[in-house]
Amino acid sequence: MKQSNRIGSRLFIGLTFLFLYLPIFLLIIFSFNAGDSSAVWKGFSLNWYVSLFQNSLIMESLYTTLLVSLLATAIATVAGTFAAIGLYSLGRRKRDALLVVNDIPMMNADIVTGVSLCLFFVAFFQGWGAFANWFNGVQSVVTLPDKLHLGFTTMLLAHVAFNIPYVILNVAPKLRQMDKNLVDAAQDLGCTWMQAFWKVILPEIKPGIVSGALIAFTMSIDDFVISYFTAGSSTSTLAMRIYSMTKKRITPEVNAVSTLLFLSVLVLLVLNNVREIRQERRAASQEIREPSFFEKLSMRFNQPSFKWVRRGVTAAMACAFVVVVVLLTGATSSQPVVNVCSWGEYIDEDLITQFEEETGIRVNYQTAESNEALYSLLKSGGADYDVIVPSDYMISQLIEEDMLEELDYSQIPNFELIDQRFRNLPYDPENKYTVPYTWGTLGLIYNANMVDGELDSWGALYGDEYAGSVLLINNSRDALGAALIHLGYSVNTTNEAEIREAFGLISDASRRGVFQGKVMDQVFQKMEGGNAAIASYYAGDYLSMLENQADGVDLRYVIPEEGANWFVDAMCVLKDAPHYDAAMAWINFIASTDANLANMDYIWYASPNAEALEQYPAYYEELYGEELDPELYEIMAAPADVLERCEMYTVLPRATRALYNDLWIQLGT
Amino acid sequence: MSKELIRLSDCVMSYGDEVVLDHINLYINDKEFLTLLGPSGCGKTTTLRIIGGFLSPTAGDVLFDGVRINDVPPHQRAVNTVFQRYALFPHLNVFENVAFGLRIPKADGSGRKVKLPEQEIHQRVMEMLEVVNLKGFEKRPVSALSGGQQQRVAIARALVNRPRVLLLDEPLGALDMRLRKDMQNELKRIQQEMEITFIYVTHDQEEALAMSDTVVVMDGGRIQQIGTPEDIYNEPKNAFVADFIGESNIIDGIMRDDGVVEIFNRRFQCLDKGFAKDEPVDVVIRPEDVDIVDEEAGQLRGTVTSVTFKGVHYDTIVDFYGFKWLIQTTDFCPVDSHIGIKIDPDGIHVMKKSQYSGMFGDYSSYSEEYEELDVVEPEDEDGEESDSQEGGYEE
Repeated sequence: MKQSNRIGSRLFIGLTFLFLYLPIFLLIIFSFNAGDSSAVWKGFSLNWYVSLFQNSLIMESLYTTLLVSLLATAIATVAGTFAAIGLYSLGRRKRDALLVVNDIPMMNADIVTGVSLCLFFVAFFQGWGAFANWFNGVQSVVTLPDKLHLGFTTMLLAHVAFNIPYVILNVAPKLRQMDKNLVDAAQDLGCTWMQAFWKVILPEIKPGIVSGALIAFTMSIDDFVISYFTAGSSTSTLAMRIYSMTKKRITPEVNAVSTLLFLSVLVLLVLNNVREIRQERRAASQEIREPSFFEKLSMRFNQPSFKWVRRGVTAAMACAFVVVVVLLTGATSSQPVVNVCSWGEYIDEDLITQFEEETGIRVNYQTAESNEALYSLLKSGGADYDVIVPSDYMISQLIEEDMLEELDYSQIPNFELIDQRFRNLPYDPENKYTVPYTWGTLGLIYNANMVDGELDSWGALYGDEYAGSVLLINNSRDALGAALIHLGYSVNTTNEAEIREAFGLISDASRRGVFQGKVMDQVFQKMEGGNAAIASYYAGDYLSMLENQADGVDLRYVIPEEGANWFVDAMCVLKDAPHYDAAMAWINFIASTDANLANMDYIWYASPNAEALEQYPAYYEELYGEELDPELYEIMAAPADVLERCEMYTVLPRATRALYNDLWIQLGT
Repeated sequence: MSKELIRLSDCVMSYGDEVVLDHINLYINDKEFLTLLGPSGCGKTTTLRIIGGFLSPTAGDVLFDGVRINDVPPHQRAVNTVFQRYALFPHLNVFENVAFGLRIPKADGSGRKVKLPEQEIHQRVMEMLEVVNLKGFEKRPVSALSGGQQQRVAIARALVNRPRVLLLDEPLGALDMRLRKDMQNELKRIQQEMEITFIYVTHDQEEALAMSDTVVVMDGGRIQQIGTPEDIYNEPKNAFVADFIGESNIIDGIMRDDGVVEIFNRRFQCLDKGFAKDEPVDVVIRPEDVDIVDEEAGQLRGTVTSVTFKGVHYDTIVDFYGFKWLIQTTDFCPVDSHIGIKIDPDGIHVMKKSQYSGMFGDYSSYSEEYEELDVVEPEDEDGEESDSQEGGYEE
């Protein structure tokens, strides 16, 4: 009985730890995967680590993360230490009350901290704007900037704010253990308070300060939520970058960076624990012992005769720190910049490096999740982007609301390379605001091994035949669009009856259990792994699914006979963009044939550049040494006759948009 | 022989409504061993901290060599302190602890900060370690020392700075009885050798009597009596002093005439004079000044209620008309035996009535009172235990 109990409890512990660590092991293993699927093992390789270190976006965000963490840790450690000392000079009751207050921010949900800090900064910026306007009005000596934005500084302040409690929490027990008379004794022996602090308090509470700093650093590196709300639009930490990279699929690059992140946090924790254990041992065994090599070294170093060496080293370290900070902040601020907001996995990142090298303009490349998310971000005023890449219907809406700046086409000679088919489209009839970035179709993707015969109708999405294996696209416009097309209506209809009929088709199917779920990015995993049979999605994404499909999965793409939606994503510049000329340079660079070829190859979306469209098959052959399957190329860049069967979205009137919203909410999750 | 060094004049210390020191007037002579004696909360540590510069009096002046030093911070006073729990620096070894004060640059005559040469520091530290018998311990971490050794490091650390005055805040409180006796002698020797002023705070009256040139008895933020140990013991000014210094039977009496005091309606010869006729007084009779005689021969008659063997003598509690006396005698009298007592005139001390009258000197609750004397004074301020031994961190 007892024996079996013990086995049972061991098994339980084993399972618990397995549950805790298995996912991390999987992540580490798959970071060494040769293939780029996160479900199928294709052999060992370090490729993802190599590409990780070549990825300028990741490297830049890593650098941002390290900078913000180091600075925040340094500031919070100093502030927290003195705060703790201040607390200890208060009476016991006040101190205990304040320590409880100190605990609250740590227990508080990050999301609350993040949102409240964001609100605080925005409120401050508004007040500041009013002040700056008044100040600039009454004098002309100094011009204060009247528009402040969330950015590195606000994120740094936020990190300092949430780190301070951790430092206090770690320093306070050391102060409690410290004999209060030590400070008196030091002062009695001739020290000023500051000297007593350096000579007596600091050595006493150093373990607490070090572990406080280590924890603060770990927290800073680890933080996502608070950074997300306070970093604004033009700064990304590593965690934020990883998050944006996982939007489509978890690439092994993300696995690699997560592995490194996990390992570095692990190292920090182990360091801290080892230090604490050693300290405890030392305290436990108070007998005299032979000092270790390092202690001898440090004793020697601390001897007065080494005074100048010691001072030199300290000064050199301080100088190095200042220089690094100045270089890091200075280098980034003096350089011209362009702020770009696009979609995740939507550019060949080498182009960014190339552009920066050619023009000396630094590209601050951020990503948004969807047209709607981008729109609300712009409306909230929290963004200071120059170039955005919204889709056709969103562009019309932005133009309608006067949020876009006209482009200076004299600075964009490469616009001439854009195919006539993609100019003067309905969303921008006179082509004053946009340069197309990519275009494509939204069709039906299915796994030939899971369906009978070939599919060629949207009806497959709504019938009972494949109930439970159909994925509904989680986007009201696209989902209702397909249904409208299936019923023979326009995707831009404003007729409520037609829209309701289309919705009925979807909700009926939903009620009958046809849909496995509503998905966006999860579509990749499900289709590649053979977990679902049918989905509607974008052609370019079909091509990257094809590359990652598991054994026994045979994915096909079809533009159903009823027709489909085709779309254009185009580059636009926001009203009052802070870096207009740099934005023009960026747009011109991206519109070039070379850039279009590189992007086409990287993201599998068709280019609007006529030369690039023509040259791509040859480009492919040269790059990979094999011919590009013409059928695949037709899927990527639909030929004219296919495109004729497709319809582009236009912006819907407000009432129709509201109807879409209401209906979509009725569908539930 | 000696001149005045420190004077506290009308010093008041109060926190809000709470008065900790109530108009203290006190002067301390150069090279004097002065003890501030009193129960916990009497204000003795506060007085010491005012002299050390850690507190500034709410009202009144502190003079050092005739100069007002109320606002002089501790590090600029020619005073060093030995703290209650030694307050040694755990991260430094014995040598560095002692050298600590010497390593702080001091302003020389012209106001420039100068550092002592390393050689001089070394020499002075070694000298001082010799004075406190700690030669050979230089390299030890302080946490590896015994209580007595730590105590001596603390003394060396203070004295190496050659202060004019050494303040000692219950320095022996944490030591065991034997070590305490040794250290008392040691401290007295050091004080005489170094020829500096010691201001010593304790709640232990034996310690105070054994070491001091002058004893200042304090209670309730007031000075109750200042005098030599002999004065304090033999001529206590009021019931509090009489009770706090040694054991006393304090009995209500009436002064019938010069040299005649009436206790329990019986007249006794005494040496005190100058009281008004028939003035109610407190009479102090030390337990060792009472002789036990046959019941018939006694000036007073009573019944033994308890006997405790103390080695040299017996503590015998005797009930006289409901009032219990403590008598220390080498004669054994069994419980319930009836005895008489005799008191010589010089064994009777007459004191004026004071706020303390009636509060002390009755041994009906003997055992509790005895325990009370042994209570170790808790730490001041918020009474928090801060243990410097634990979690010590050395480099």
